[in-house]
Amino acid sequence: MKTPKNVETHVWRGGIPLESRYTAGLGGQIFFQALKERGELVGTRCAACKQVYVPARAFCERCFAELTEEVKVSPEGTLVSFTFSAYDRDANRLAEPVALALVKLDGATTTMLHRLLRVTSPEQVRIGARVKVVLKPKAKRTGSILDIEGFQLA
Amino acid sequence: MRRVAVVGAGMTKFIHRALETPKELSWLAAKAALDSAEMKLDQVDCVVEGTAPDAFDGVHMNGEYLSDGCGAWKKPYLRCYVGGGTGVYALAQGWFHIASGLFDTALVVCEEKMSTCLPHPQAAFLTIFDNITEQPLKPNLLWIFALEMNRYMSVHGYSVEDIAKVSVKNKRNALGHPSAQLGAELTVKDVLASEIMAWPVHRLMVSPTSDGAAAVLLASEEVAKRVTNKPVWVQGVGWCLDSAYWTNRDLYYPDYVEKAAWMAYRMAGIREPRKEINLAEPYDPFAYKELHHLEGLQLAPKGQAPRLLADGVFDRDGDLPTCPSGGLLGVGNPIAAAGMMKLCELFWQLRGEAGPRQVPGRPRRGVAQAWGDLMQVGTVVVMGVN
Repeated sequence: MKTPKNVETHVWRGGIPLESRYTAGLGGQIFFQALKERGELVGTRCAACKQVYVPARAFCERCFAELTEEVKVSPEGTLVSFTFSAYDRDANRLAEPVALALVKLDGATTTMLHRLLRVTSPEQVRIGARVKVVLKPKAKRTGSILDIEGFQLA
Repeated sequence: MRRVAVVGAGMTKFIHRALETPKELSWLAAKAALDSAEMKLDQVDCVVEGTAPDAFDGVHMNGEYLSDGCGAWKKPYLRCYVGGGTGVYALAQGWFHIASGLFDTALVVCEEKMSTCLPHPQAAFLTIFDNITEQPLKPNLLWIFALEMNRYMSVHGYSVEDIAKVSVKNKRNALGHPSAQLGAELTVKDVLASEIMAWPVHRLMVSPTSDGAAAVLLASEEVAKRVTNKPVWVQGVGWCLDSAYWTNRDLYYPDYVEKAAWMAYRMAGIREPRKEINLAEPYDPFAYKELHHLEGLQLAPKGQAPRLLADGVFDRDGDLPTCPSGGLLGVGNPIAAAGMMKLCELFWQLRGEAGPRQVPGRPRRGVAQAWGDLMQVGTVVVMGVN
C-alpha cells in the first residue's frame, strides 16, 4: 500500500477500563496486621535456607517450604542504595526531587524499598549509612505499605 | 525425541474469591504436585508457567511476578499464553523442554486469580476484539458464545434442552471433586429456568469466574521410571490457530480443534480416535462447547455429539466418559488453571486415583483439550499408561 501524503492520521483514544482488588495473602496478612496494629515489622524465617523474608512470606522461594516461624525485625537497618528522582512517572519534572532508598533491616535477609526522608541532595547520603523506619501514628495506619512514611538517616 | 511422563499432579480448590495471592496459589498447586511425586524443588530442572491475561491477576508481566510461586527461583523459566488454551498448551511447552533432551524434569504450573479484576473480569476481554471494527460496539464474550451456540444448534437442528444436558452431567460429576466450586444435582428444567444471559446461553450453561491453580511434574523416561511405578506418558501434543477474523469462520465446527487433535493423534499413533481413546476432558466453558469440541476431537461424528450425550455415552459409566472431573462448568474456570485441571484429571484417572470420580474399566488412554484466544486456538494433549 502507498503511504498517503498530507493526510491527517485518523486516530481515536481508548483504554483498558480495569481496576484491581489485591489481597495481601497468607504472608501479607501477617506483615500488614503487625504493622497496623503494633507498629512492628514482621517477617518469616526459613531455617533450612537461613533466610528471613521481610515482609513476611507464606513460602520459601528457595526450597518451597511453608513458612510458619514469624520473626520481628529491627526498625533500624543499613542503606544498600539510594537515588534522587527528578521526574514523576508521567514524565513531569518534580518541583523537588524525591529520594528513594533500598534498606536491609537488621535481622532481615531481604531488602526493602521506600522513601528516604529529610534529605535534599546526594551529598547528604552515603551507601552503608545507618537508617531507621519512620511510621505513621497508629490512628492513621490502614494496613498499607504507606503506613511506613519512609526511612531517615539515624 | 525422548519420551516424557507425568509423575505428579496437584491443584488448589477453585473458588470465587481467594485470600491467597496469585503466587501463593501457584505455590500451593506446585508444591502439591511435587509432594505427590515425593520430589523436592531442587530436583526440578526447569519451570513452565501459564496464565491468561495479565489483567486478571492485575500485574503486568505476570509470569515474572508468579515465578517464585511456581518454583522458578534461579531456574530456566518460561511463561506461555494462548488465552483459554493456555492450560493444555503449557504441558506441551513442558514436553518440549524434556523431549528435546535439554532437561530431565519440568514443573508446569498454571494459575489465575480472576477476583482481582474489577468491576468484572469480563471487562478484560473487551480489548481482545478488533479496536477499529468491533470494540466500539462493546462486545463481550457472552455475545460471541451465544452466536456460536446458536449457529451450532441451527445447523444440526438441536434445541436448548439438548445442550442443557451437558450442564446437568458436568455439575453432577463435580460433586465428587474436592476442589469443585459449583458441583450440583440439577435437572434440564433447572438449567432452562436459569436466567437467559444472551440467547440461547442460560446462566447455568456458563462456567463461573474462579481463583485457583493446578500443576503437574514432568520427567524424562529415565527419571520417571526411577521415581514412580505408575508414570503416565505424554503420547501426543497438538495445537492450531485459526483466522484472527473470528467472524469469517463458520462457527458451527471447530476446524482448528480437528487439526490440533490430528497432530496429537498422529504423534500418539492413533488412527481411530473413537475406538482408541477411553476418556476425554474436552474444554467446556459453556455447555455447548463440550459437544462442539467432542466433534472437533473426532470423538463424535459432526452433529452427533448431542445425540450420544442423550444416549448416556458420555456419562461417567458410559462408553466414553467426558469431563469426569466435572469440567469447567462444575469444578470452575480459573482460565489457565482450568485447562491444567483437565490434565491433572487424566493423570488421576489413568492411575486409578480419581476416588469417587474414577471411571470404570481401567482406562488406558485419555485426551484433554482447551480452546481460547479469540475463539480460534485449539490445544490438545493425549496421555496414556504406556
